[in-house]
Amino acid sequence: MTLYLHTTLQRQTADGTQRRLELTIPNASRVADLFRAADMPPVGDAVLLVVNGRTASADQRLSDGDEVHFIPALSGG
Amino acid sequence: MEIWRANLREQKVTREPVPQAWMRLGGRGLSGRILLDEVPPTCDPLGPLNKLVFAPGLLVGHMLSSCDRISVGAKSPMTRGIKEANAGGSTGLHMTNMGMKALILEGQAPAGDNRSGWWVLHLSLTGARFEPADDLAGLGVFEVAPRLLKRYGDKVALALIGQAGEMLYTAAGIQNLDKDREPTRIASRGGLGAVMGSKRLKAIVFDDAGGKKAPIANAEAFKLAQKKFTKNLMDHPQSAVYRDYSTAAMTLTCNSFGGLPTRNFSSGRFEGAETLSGEYMRETMLKRGGESEPAHACMAGCTIRCSNIYGGADGKALVSPLEYETIGLMGSNLGIADLDYVAKMNQIANDIGVDTIDVGAALGVAAEAGLMQFGDGERAVELMEEMRKGTPLGRILGQGVAVAGRVLGVTRIPAVKGQAMSAYEPRAIKGTGTTYATSPQGADHTAGNTVRAKVDHLDPSVQAATSRAAQINMAGYDTLGACIFSGFGFAVAPEVIPDLLNARYGWSVGGDILQVLGKETLQIEREFNRQAGFTAADDRLPEWMTLEPLPPHNSTYDVAAADLDGMFNW
Repeated sequence: MTLYLHTTLQRQTADGTQRRLELTIPNASRVADLFRAADMPPVGDAVLLVVNGRTASADQRLSDGDEVHFIPALSGG
Repeated sequence: MEIWRANLREQKVTREPVPQAWMRLGGRGLSGRILLDEVPPTCDPLGPLNKLVFAPGLLVGHMLSSCDRISVGAKSPMTRGIKEANAGGSTGLHMTNMGMKALILEGQAPAGDNRSGWWVLHLSLTGARFEPADDLAGLGVFEVAPRLLKRYGDKVALALIGQAGEMLYTAAGIQNLDKDREPTRIASRGGLGAVMGSKRLKAIVFDDAGGKKAPIANAEAFKLAQKKFTKNLMDHPQSAVYRDYSTAAMTLTCNSFGGLPTRNFSSGRFEGAETLSGEYMRETMLKRGGESEPAHACMAGCTIRCSNIYGGADGKALVSPLEYETIGLMGSNLGIADLDYVAKMNQIANDIGVDTIDVGAALGVAAEAGLMQFGDGERAVELMEEMRKGTPLGRILGQGVAVAGRVLGVTRIPAVKGQAMSAYEPRAIKGTGTTYATSPQGADHTAGNTVRAKVDHLDPSVQAATSRAAQINMAGYDTLGACIFSGFGFAVAPEVIPDLLNARYGWSVGGDILQVLGKETLQIEREFNRQAGFTAADDRLPEWMTLEPLPPHNSTYDVAAADLDGMFNW
């Protein structure tokens, strides 16, 4: 499945800014399991978890082909 | 503090004591109170009975980070109800330095022949004078502001209109100087620039020479609370997002939710969102260097610095700031994926003094009517130039989306109470949609945005409560003169709000003061609108959004009418 990292969660790598990760995780993993799979500390309350365009909880189970976004929360202006 | 009252017809300015009923309000709440007390809600918004109010918020005056905002209010020629638009910049601070609790502009100067008869109002502690300004008529704010600074000294604050306000465009706003003296902090929504234009006022000069900071009842307590607040603000991870990515960080957020308005609100996901994103904008600015600045403060002392200066490939500044709402309404809503075009359109909008949201939405219906192709940035810039020149088409577009859509025969008009929706598709972010429907301000996301809430944005049953809480808090912040972005700093330790107020004014307000102020403000506004003739039928999204499913979620706006009608029952 694909994990998109937004704004301050993006990584600076030798090849440039990395915003998108393709991850392989066991079936029926939860969103929270992605932190370890992506080698990042668990995100706090200030990050919106979005699965296939819908607000998700850290406990939500994932399926093959899911698109997940981790978004540091902001209000527009 | 005093109430300064300027009569445009008599050309007289008086300074009065603050009435008891106005003392515990500021900003949006005070503006609303003044309008309800003094303006007949059925008056002609562009006639002599409407008043234009400038009111700094309750916390304005001490460069408390992000809390020096100015509220501008009047009866709106766009919504025909009560209107408040606020801005950052330096106007608020100058007013409090001069001891101004509020400035009320009433009456109208008579128009002269050939559209002459323009005035500048110069306010200082040694007196007030009206000066003829026909030499400034027809000029944009980027020409006028430097002339006024040269004439009156560069320490003044300015509130001014461009050609749009002079031509009574309903989408016209009022520009204020940022801390670097650029006239780019606009009180934009709802046509207040047209109200100022109807009074034949080109500019107001706030000269605070001889003034001093507003008094603080308990300096020690204020300093303690200020320190706590500033630290909470700076430590919060959200500060870094604003500082590094500006509000443009919202582009991919909304796109992820399927709520980014695309091609006149026909989809919630835009294939060109990547190159309109805050991430891409940051990379571009860093690569281009020159005058580009990813972080910039509009008010002196603001530690968030969400503003920016967006430069072109040649290193020269194209526009400041480049904000999410503009990127949404003039970018994805027009099928345009190139920030340089959005910036060029934004710069024209700033110069003539129009609201980029309503004008962007107007261009969207113009595209739907076939006057431009979606995606044609060159043509969009041309249409902005028509607005500047005041051609018949330019004047139509300058009236904003509701009028332009009607004239051009477009039925899919994204507006509530005659005001354009901003860059949150109401069928995907239903809480913000609920705010659009019910806010006394019309379709206004700053009145209660819910995108950040951890709710299912598509579930109609939870939106009323989410919107209500947001509307109350936002009305509270607008009354304090706090930028709504400071909210995350206040949320860490909410007791800071009563602590600051009590220390400043010697009051004993409680922990719920933000909500108390917010509710009072909303009740004032609801009452004005009721007297102006609004009914429950006005608290609805346009019918077509309840019927037409929006890709990618294929959702319609389906929050129950009963929920909308019960919004203000508390």
